[in-house]
Amino acid sequence: MSRNTPAIPSGLGLLSDAAVTKYLSRGMQAGQEKPPRGALAKMSVALPETEERWHVEPVRRLLDEAMNRFDGDPPLADRWLAPRLHATLRMTRAEAADSRRWNFLSMIVAPDYVVWRHRRREIAQVARFVGPHYTQAFSRLWWAAELFRSGEDYRPVEVACRIQDVLNTTMRLDVIDHRPTAAAIIQLLQRLEDSGVSGLGDRANTLSSAVNAAGSTLVYDVLAPDEPADEDALADWITAGALAPAVPWDRLPDGPDDGAVSQHAVDALLPLFERLLAEAPLRQRQRAVEEDE
Amino acid sequence: MKPVFPYQTFIGIVELEVVAVTVDGIELPYSKISKLDQAVALHQIGRDEWEIASLRLRATLPDQEIAAGPWTDLVCLAVLAEKATNARHTARLKRADDGRWQGAIDLVRSRHLNRAELSLTVVGTVSGVAGRAVGTTERDWYVDLNRDVPVRQQEIPIVQTDFREGDPDWLRSFKESLWVVETTGDTPVVYLNTTAVEGLLDVVDGTGGTAAEKVVREMTASQIAQDAWTAMFHTAISDLDTDEDDTPVMPAGWREQVLRMMLPDVLPERQLTDALFNINERRTKGYGWPELQTRIQYAAGKRSQVTKKLTNAMRSLDRAEEGRKP
Repeated sequence: MSRNTPAIPSGLGLLSDAAVTKYLSRGMQAGQEKPPRGALAKMSVALPETEERWHVEPVRRLLDEAMNRFDGDPPLADRWLAPRLHATLRMTRAEAADSRRWNFLSMIVAPDYVVWRHRRREIAQVARFVGPHYTQAFSRLWWAAELFRSGEDYRPVEVACRIQDVLNTTMRLDVIDHRPTAAAIIQLLQRLEDSGVSGLGDRANTLSSAVNAAGSTLVYDVLAPDEPADEDALADWITAGALAPAVPWDRLPDGPDDGAVSQHAVDALLPLFERLLAEAPLRQRQRAVEEDE
Repeated sequence: MKPVFPYQTFIGIVELEVVAVTVDGIELPYSKISKLDQAVALHQIGRDEWEIASLRLRATLPDQEIAAGPWTDLVCLAVLAEKATNARHTARLKRADDGRWQGAIDLVRSRHLNRAELSLTVVGTVSGVAGRAVGTTERDWYVDLNRDVPVRQQEIPIVQTDFREGDPDWLRSFKESLWVVETTGDTPVVYLNTTAVEGLLDVVDGTGGTAAEKVVREMTASQIAQDAWTAMFHTAISDLDTDEDDTPVMPAGWREQVLRMMLPDVLPERQLTDALFNINERRTKGYGWPELQTRIQYAAGKRSQVTKKLTNAMRSLDRAEEGRKP
């Protein structure tokens, strides 16, 4: 462990996947070593400091609060953190799809959070530091918020994050890129939860694969047309972030007001999804419960 | 993977064509649209900051089947999607007087990163079930945001830099090599070291020159290509996602292209899905890996056309030698 770990830089940057592979040590994955920030900083590309949204401090404060609040049960932090991370790191999908931004967070800004949230047995998996959008510690939260929000309403995101299988399974599927499909899955699960059904995670898995399988011959876009998002509203929301106060901790923030998912479209899918769930055999959970439970 | 349809679908061909593209209202030069490659190049269109590209589409559907088949309520749906950004946007095409289907779909720049795929699906009610896909384009169009030329095949970018002092500085530890291949990103990159072998890059970059120069150029180029193909193949199969039956899923982007091109040479006489399954099994269960290396090397060599290039180069060298003799 180095004695003089340089401080966390004040601005976000972009860090290549190659850099993560090079510097991510077992010690870091176990939370016993500090990241070689100096070396990592040299390998990263800084984002313009003039843009307030790339300031590190608000994100860091959010993560500290999450670790503080949910120390006894880290998976619980997801539903609190996802909407707040999304509303703090305001950006376009093109920006969010660049894995280098998430690498910078996991390697330089908050490797401690990655270990706190994802350490199983001894270490946190490499894929939590660098990985696809549904696995990496930060991008999975941001994308959960992006894919499940309904315009400015983050409440469906909380439901999605409460049922970990939605993050682990549903979020991988291409069919949920169609917003009414994503919303219908969440609303159906919410309904099941309200009625006190047990094994919600298994049902989320069953439902997701049934919806996905049916989606190879059924075109949900036609059954439940989605409205295109209001891109100007999104751009305004991103710009407004510079002057907005930090996200609230005890109530949900507001997302970009770029158009809610049409309930009419969701209602067109709900009976179909209910039937798919009823007809699908409820699989026994095959994989050992090792991740995120 | 082609789904199995439990109902009747089109036998005839569904064809989609991008007729014209406007970027923020300005018409894109026709050279940026390739019908042959089914690709559109949106990069360097004279403006860096654009917001919306609008693609005008025209489709041809099998008319006789439309009239005779068991479907009703037909919808002709264009779908623009990109995996990297989870973007999905659709538009309906309408039937024009000439029987073709026409419409437009918008590509919003902030929702895309590299390359969007454009396809067409015909949807209808079949046997009382609404929303059935009854026909689709065989080959998607590619809409490339970072490319000047509309080509289907993605070329590997080659970056020339000084490994000793240039960027990115992780290359410093490779300062003695002539090139390295990086496959971790969205697209593979070959970094070519400008300072490893003095004078070599002048030869490599040049055209013409002496026969000997040509041999050096071809050798270097095909070696680089072989290295790149090998590295890309290994990366593409290194971390396959599996579905719930443990069947490996074809990865997206360049990884898919590489596998589609190389698997037939690596595991000949096997269907693509079988080959993928086999390779994943060997990798995860740890058998048959060494013998696979020979096949990979062979496939990479074939792709980079080593033999052909060197044969040609050797012949021209021979001819030059002949000419020098009295």
